Amino acid sequence: MSDSTAVKTASKLGLDKANTQKWIFLFIAIVPPFGGYLLFTLFPNILSVYYAMLNWDGFTDAKFVGLSNFITAFQDKYVWRALTHNLIFMITVPFFVIIISLLLAYLITNKTYKENKFLKVLFFFPNVLSTVVVALLWAFIYDGSYGLLNGLLKFIGIDIGNFYWLGNESTALASIIPAWVWGGVGLYAIIFANAMLAIPKSLYEAAILEGAGHMTRLFKITMPLVTPIIRVSALFLVVGTMKGFEIILIMTNGGPFGSTDVIGLYMFNLAFGVEYRNYGYASAVGMILFVILVTAKLLIDKFVPNKGYEY
Amino acid sequence: MKEKRTLMDIVWRVVLYAWALTILFPLVWVIYESLKSNPEFFQDIWALPSEFRWQNYSKAWNQYGFGQSLLNTLYYVGGSLVLGLFFTTINAYALTRMTFKGRKLIWGLIMLSLFLPGINALVPQYVIMRELDLTNSLTGLILLSSLGESVFYLMLLGGFMSSLPVELEESATMDGATLFQKFWRVIVPLSTPGIVTVGVFKFLGFYNNFLAPFIYLSDPKKYPIAVQMYSANKQMEFTADWVTLFAGVTIAMVPSIIIYILFQRLLMEGATMGAVKG
Repeated sequence: MSDSTAVKTASKLGLDKANTQKWIFLFIAIVPPFGGYLLFTLFPNILSVYYAMLNWDGFTDAKFVGLSNFITAFQDKYVWRALTHNLIFMITVPFFVIIISLLLAYLITNKTYKENKFLKVLFFFPNVLSTVVVALLWAFIYDGSYGLLNGLLKFIGIDIGNFYWLGNESTALASIIPAWVWGGVGLYAIIFANAMLAIPKSLYEAAILEGAGHMTRLFKITMPLVTPIIRVSALFLVVGTMKGFEIILIMTNGGPFGSTDVIGLYMFNLAFGVEYRNYGYASAVGMILFVILVTAKLLIDKFVPNKGYEY
Repeated sequence: MKEKRTLMDIVWRVVLYAWALTILFPLVWVIYESLKSNPEFFQDIWALPSEFRWQNYSKAWNQYGFGQSLLNTLYYVGGSLVLGLFFTTINAYALTRMTFKGRKLIWGLIMLSLFLPGINALVPQYVIMRELDLTNSLTGLILLSSLGESVFYLMLLGGFMSSLPVELEESATMDGATLFQKFWRVIVPLSTPGIVTVGVFKFLGFYNNFLAPFIYLSDPKKYPIAVQMYSANKQMEFTADWVTLFAGVTIAMVPSIIIYILFQRLLMEGATMGAVKG
């Protein structure tokens, strides 16, 4: 009898020990990362709603002003100008990225050129470069006096002098688009190529037996089967382009004369720029962007057809 | 079976090569311009260098304080990588293979991050960091970068770990292994491929990180390479010292190129996984 009690106590002690151990383990495994997430991600997101209602330069006492920051924002012509630029980027960048990636992915997977393997590796390379390097490379391309683009134009007989593509209001915005597209194509080309490779060969073989040509196979088999992935990619690209501003910050910082300013960059400069600081107003602009992004996400989810195909 | 080559094949190949050229050409151009002298460069942006001026590189190294910013980068990237990788791995294990109260709630809150664009949180995040006295400090930046949750990494590692058979853990428990020993001796070695993938992505993320160091570091002596290159470009607007900047950009690309050569397969597979799982 005493034996069984001893066993019970021992196993209970063991259980307690195992339990304590489990809690220590869980504490180490959960608290630092999840705590960091709460502190640096979730809490600031909630706080931003409150900040948006303050008049605060970040140092002196904050003043609660209710919704007046939002009213100011809606009347702020710089906000509207920035949003217009956002709209342009949001349409053009994802569009070109997807079209170019699809074409490249199709050629890499469906043609048996021996250099395809090398090309696939090369195409992905810009995606491992930092935004700073990508932006600087393109700034070199667009430079007026010594840029590659003007040099190339001169080479084929078009001399436009020392035209600064990024320094001119009428061309700066359009010049940023290729740089942004260039930095994004590789990733999506690989994603689409892998999706195309996953399509069973038997489908194509059956189609060939039935006499389907190249085009029929492309539009009846390949495209429908990669559509779900194109859809997810489009969502990512649209949302990413809408909130992205790093490449613009480095290439032009919104200039010249605000002709390349976007809403994220406008907010960034309101908060951290050199001229003046207004944390409250910056947060209000940030909230507007937040609402736009979440709405865009939900709209795309709802209205872009999500037809999955089984094979 | 050999495919029949048609006229269209020439067109397609031209398309492929054209895109390849947009990548190779600027890179090669920057590298060979970095070996010229400034007058040579100003005279003709196409001509090859008459002699290789390797001194541009030592000049870039000294002028842009690459020594210091390399140390900063090593500290920031290394610290964030070690700390972040440890916590991400142990976190993924706890969240995917252990049962405890509140697990569902934690998952739910983490999933919320997929809806948060993060940009509206920049200002409050800065204020919090300032209150904690973590601004203008590389250590503060390490804490910000390595403590947090990422759905992408959790999916990647969690997927890996949940494919390991439960019997492995059970037999380790039978042998009297504690939870920590089990994690360290059984789970970590078996999840190595997943951990390496996460590590490579984290490395690139930290090395390429521009915005956070740019916001949080006010002292240029603390700049990592990415921010240093940005301010080098700003300086160049006044000095017109192009070739040195080209050399600097080339130096800044070296770590990316090395990582890419070593891990390109892994990177391409991981990137696809991220997109498909969303």
